Amino acid sequence: MAPVSLHSVRKAYGEVQILHGIDVDIADGEFIVLVGPSGCGKSTLLRMIAGLETITKGDIRIGDRVVNDLEPKDRDIAMVFQNYALYPHMTVATNMGFSLEHRGASKAEIAERVKWAADILDLSHLLDRYPRQLSGGQRQRVAMGRAIVRNPQVFLFDEPLSNLDAKLRVVMRGEIKGLHQRLGVTTVYVTHDQIEAMTMADRIVVMNAGKVEQIGGPLELYDRPANLFVAGFIGSPAMNILGGTIEGAQFKAAGVTLPLPAGLTTSGAASYGIRPEHFQLSPVGLPAVVSLVEPMGSETQVTMTLGEHVVTGVFRERVAARPGETIHILPDLTAVHLFDAKTGQRIN
Amino acid sequence: MRTDLSPRLRVALYGLMCVLLIPFVFPTWWMITSSVKPISDIFAFPPDLWPRRFDFSTYQRVFELQPFARQYWNSAYIAAIVTAGTMVVSSMAGYAFARIKFPFSNAIFMVVLLGLLIPSEVTIVPLFQMFLGWGMINTHWPLILVPIFGAPSVFATFVMRQFFIALPGELEEAARVDGLGRFKIFWTIALPLAKPALGAVAIFTFLHSWNLYLEPIVFLSSTQMFTLPQALTQFTDAYGGAMWNIQLAAATMTAIPVLLVFIVAQKQFVEGLAHTGLKG
Repeated sequence: MAPVSLHSVRKAYGEVQILHGIDVDIADGEFIVLVGPSGCGKSTLLRMIAGLETITKGDIRIGDRVVNDLEPKDRDIAMVFQNYALYPHMTVATNMGFSLEHRGASKAEIAERVKWAADILDLSHLLDRYPRQLSGGQRQRVAMGRAIVRNPQVFLFDEPLSNLDAKLRVVMRGEIKGLHQRLGVTTVYVTHDQIEAMTMADRIVVMNAGKVEQIGGPLELYDRPANLFVAGFIGSPAMNILGGTIEGAQFKAAGVTLPLPAGLTTSGAASYGIRPEHFQLSPVGLPAVVSLVEPMGSETQVTMTLGEHVVTGVFRERVAARPGETIHILPDLTAVHLFDAKTGQRIN
Repeated sequence: MRTDLSPRLRVALYGLMCVLLIPFVFPTWWMITSSVKPISDIFAFPPDLWPRRFDFSTYQRVFELQPFARQYWNSAYIAAIVTAGTMVVSSMAGYAFARIKFPFSNAIFMVVLLGLLIPSEVTIVPLFQMFLGWGMINTHWPLILVPIFGAPSVFATFVMRQFFIALPGELEEAARVDGLGRFKIFWTIALPLAKPALGAVAIFTFLHSWNLYLEPIVFLSSTQMFTLPQALTQFTDAYGGAMWNIQLAAATMTAIPVLLVFIVAQKQFVEGLAHTGLKG
């Protein structure tokens, strides 16, 4: 186990800047998730930590060593790839013991470590099989086995669940989290799936266009997004964002006036954010015309038009309204997010 | 292959394939059957598809007229060395062109490929001069060195490069994380996975070397040094006329390794070329 520190890390391909100075400190044993839309630079950053990409500027430290110029094999890291990257011509056991073999471990030690990892990951009965004879989930477990077998200081995961079906993803999510809790190894995990990020991370690094938008715990990001990007990215269904102006204790948007939390001192152009579950049905609420009702069983998701804005509400109640009918809703004033119209930064 | 053809169409297709097969099979059939006919029966008209009389002494005569066993060995060991050498050179060069970034790699590869466009007849005289200067005329060195570093190897390099390009980059990255350097990645990861392409390279390199004709007649002058294609031209009577039945017996024996290679390895050959996008 070791802390990982990224200091002003930049990456450029010629004139094209990919990462614009990333600063992240990852504590010893922490599970950190890099999340962001495709092309935001999260995988590039992970590959730079692994040593598979060069660093244009800045420092990466693993433990007390600057590893900028070290080969991947010398960084004491293990990586799980998106497509597993199992060696097709080797059995599961050989795949798992391969790195130890090339580091000069004895046969007895390799066998012992492989058995240990196989027991943890329930792979003991598959050790003589080839990767082509395994299911997607089993391959993923072998890839994890290969990573844990040599007890590295840092685990790196590059979208490891993206090739699995939805059900298996949930299972493997739990297995990876369980593995981390058991081994306590510092883990950097890349995903574009914000649910994966929310459920697995100790802290999340939200990235966009090569920059860090916010770093924080999953609920911190959910409850207090630092800016419009994070507000829109974290949460499913996404937060409703309405453009308008703050005038006194009211927020005036196109065709609707919304109440604001008390004590707000700012005014002028802003964005009003409210999560779908923070709308409440109320007879004295604002009128909204229903366009779609999606019953989920435990809750009901309603798409509706509020003033001139299309918004989504999620209600614990069963909503009986039909498309075209009007319901009345009120925002929970303790859960309203306000963002500066120009900078997109949070202002409340 | 889909098999939802109607029985009538299927019969028609098989019939057509049988007809198309004739020009390919007939020469081989004629070679084998004529090798056991008396010479007077070979040119009988209409030709006999099955010999009326069998004369197996032709096969014995092949070894009496020429040091045929020695020539057979010459062809075999030269083909084996050329095959092994080409596999080594082409796999390493193909890997380098496919996976290692170095300045002008694509341009250099194009220049290498251009070598395929130059007929061997154009370079044979300069090569003769070169090997003469090196004291290698009437030795087997030219027949070994020219294919390994010449056009056959260029084609093999192309095949290997195409295969290595398709190899997932993540495998190499995983190997780097596992502690392997460039050569070990090539040796323990890339090369074992390249077996189908290597198989294809081995087959066509072996066949090319086995069938090499122009180079032996330029570089070799003593019958002890001859290879089989060159030896086949030596079965002539006192007037220079071909001793057809003996020549065809020698040709039949010459073709045996080629047929065996195709029968045993045709699947490998097709798979290897399929991997490189060269099929069909």
